[in-house]
Amino acid sequence: MRAPFAWLPTGLRYLTMALIALALLLPLYWMLISSLRPSDEIFRYATDFGWRTFFPEDLTLEHWIGALDAGYLRAIGNSLFVAFSTVVLGILVNSLAGFAFAVFDFPGRTVLFVCVLASFMMPFEAMVLPLYHLVRFLGWTDSYKALIMPEVASGFIIFLFRQFFVGIPRELFEAARIDGATWWQAYWRIAMPLTGPTIATAALMLFILQWEAFFWPLVAASAPDYVVVQVAIARHSNLETTDWGGMFAASSIAVLMALIPFLAFQRYYVRTIVQSGVK
Amino acid sequence: MGNGIRERGWIPLLFLAPALIGLIVFRLAPIGIAIVGGFLQQTLRGETVFAGLANYLDLATDPVFWNSVRVTLLFNVLINPFQVVVALGLALLVFRPGPGVTFFRAAYFLPMCVSLAIVSVLWNILLDTQLGPVNGLLSALGLERQPFFRSESQALLTMIGIASWKGCGYWMMFLLAGLYAIPDDFHEAARIDGANAWQRFRYVTLPLMRRPILFVLIADTAINFLFFAPVYIITNGGPAGATDLLMFQAYQSAFAYLNHGRSLAISTILLVVIAIFAMVEFRLFRSPSDA
Repeated sequence: MRAPFAWLPTGLRYLTMALIALALLLPLYWMLISSLRPSDEIFRYATDFGWRTFFPEDLTLEHWIGALDAGYLRAIGNSLFVAFSTVVLGILVNSLAGFAFAVFDFPGRTVLFVCVLASFMMPFEAMVLPLYHLVRFLGWTDSYKALIMPEVASGFIIFLFRQFFVGIPRELFEAARIDGATWWQAYWRIAMPLTGPTIATAALMLFILQWEAFFWPLVAASAPDYVVVQVAIARHSNLETTDWGGMFAASSIAVLMALIPFLAFQRYYVRTIVQSGVK
Repeated sequence: MGNGIRERGWIPLLFLAPALIGLIVFRLAPIGIAIVGGFLQQTLRGETVFAGLANYLDLATDPVFWNSVRVTLLFNVLINPFQVVVALGLALLVFRPGPGVTFFRAAYFLPMCVSLAIVSVLWNILLDTQLGPVNGLLSALGLERQPFFRSESQALLTMIGIASWKGCGYWMMFLLAGLYAIPDDFHEAARIDGANAWQRFRYVTLPLMRRPILFVLIADTAINFLFFAPVYIITNGGPAGATDLLMFQAYQSAFAYLNHGRSLAISTILLVVIAIFAMVEFRLFRSPSDA
């Protein structure tokens, strides 16, 4: 027989879970819904709090269309270009290095691999200000190169590829070599086609990293031609703008662009990130 | 490692070169630049000269810098334990399966997809004294409106709040993985021995969670020592220096006061702090048996 009030712990657990979810999701929902309502309504129901704060009277796409005119289109284009370039270069460069660490035996391999692992314990933010001087010295300030190149090589993604390639039997490569394949062919034709999930995870990590980048783009390439989406949004909010609708529309686009691939690959992605810490 | 395929020296090198060059130029060289640049100063005529410890001595007598150190330490002493406790609470809450628990778990990591820049822009409006819906809610409930970022006493705590809104779900993932790694038998055995829920948490879960908790605490601290975007976007270090974190001071030194020596001296100090945390983290990462 169940004790009376046996439902109480479960009920409390669900109540707590629901309240926390509400506190996390409601601000995002409010941002999205505000981007879809007329300007005067956003202000009115922010100050005058009630059920109308979350349920608009009128819906409009004017801010989404307006946001594309207000310079956000350029910023979104820049961010997409930088993110996709980093994904393509990053997958190539890091998988090559991962392959070398997994397949070849060469002097200094262990020491070098430990150095590569150590490099991803240092957050990139710590490098931003000194790196600015290097990039200025190279004459790269306000260029796509400055935005893309520093994020291509990644100790963590080299590690991911190395872990995957170690699991492929060496005999496969040796047989290919005996048949006259070059090492490049062994890598490109045999190893890479087996690497699907690792490529997907690496692509997602690099994409989100660049799509959400703020500090480095602010420092290295803040000219209007190269401005990225996060910097553009922050700059509009700094100008004491009254165009909240446009800003919410741009922010909603920025969040959705990271959220959709994240939710699609959530399981791979979460497992991989967690691996980095609790191995 | 070992038993790889022996190859002539230049082939492995060719495969490694692009990544190694990238890591050397963009991860290693900046450390050298920060250290060297910390010893340089620019004269009024625009020449760069060796200045010895002058930048560090200037910092040592600069009340703005010491305020920034104090704020950064206070921020880290508060935010890191807070985030670990909340993340552990969240992990325990969604650990046991049940209807809809997967939904809640996903809802908790969702904010980690929102960039810190957008978190700042959004919460700056949500918490606005006049126009923000949070103050709208407070006054609808008959409570007093709060200044949040505009108050010297509330700004830093509000900063911790919005950073945790984004960050706790992320750290929860690591702790959740740690909880799954504890064999069920441990809890079962404790239950048979008559341990209540608190005792099982205190004497079974918590000791076995030491490693993931320590990892999260250290990784979180390393990141929060470099906390920047919300300070830049929302408060500009104010009001009255209340949120003037060191990373922001380093940025301001370079781009507002055009004092690169000071900026790189602060960067070097931050790099040393981060390197210490990275070394501890690295040991945890490398040796699964101890800790």
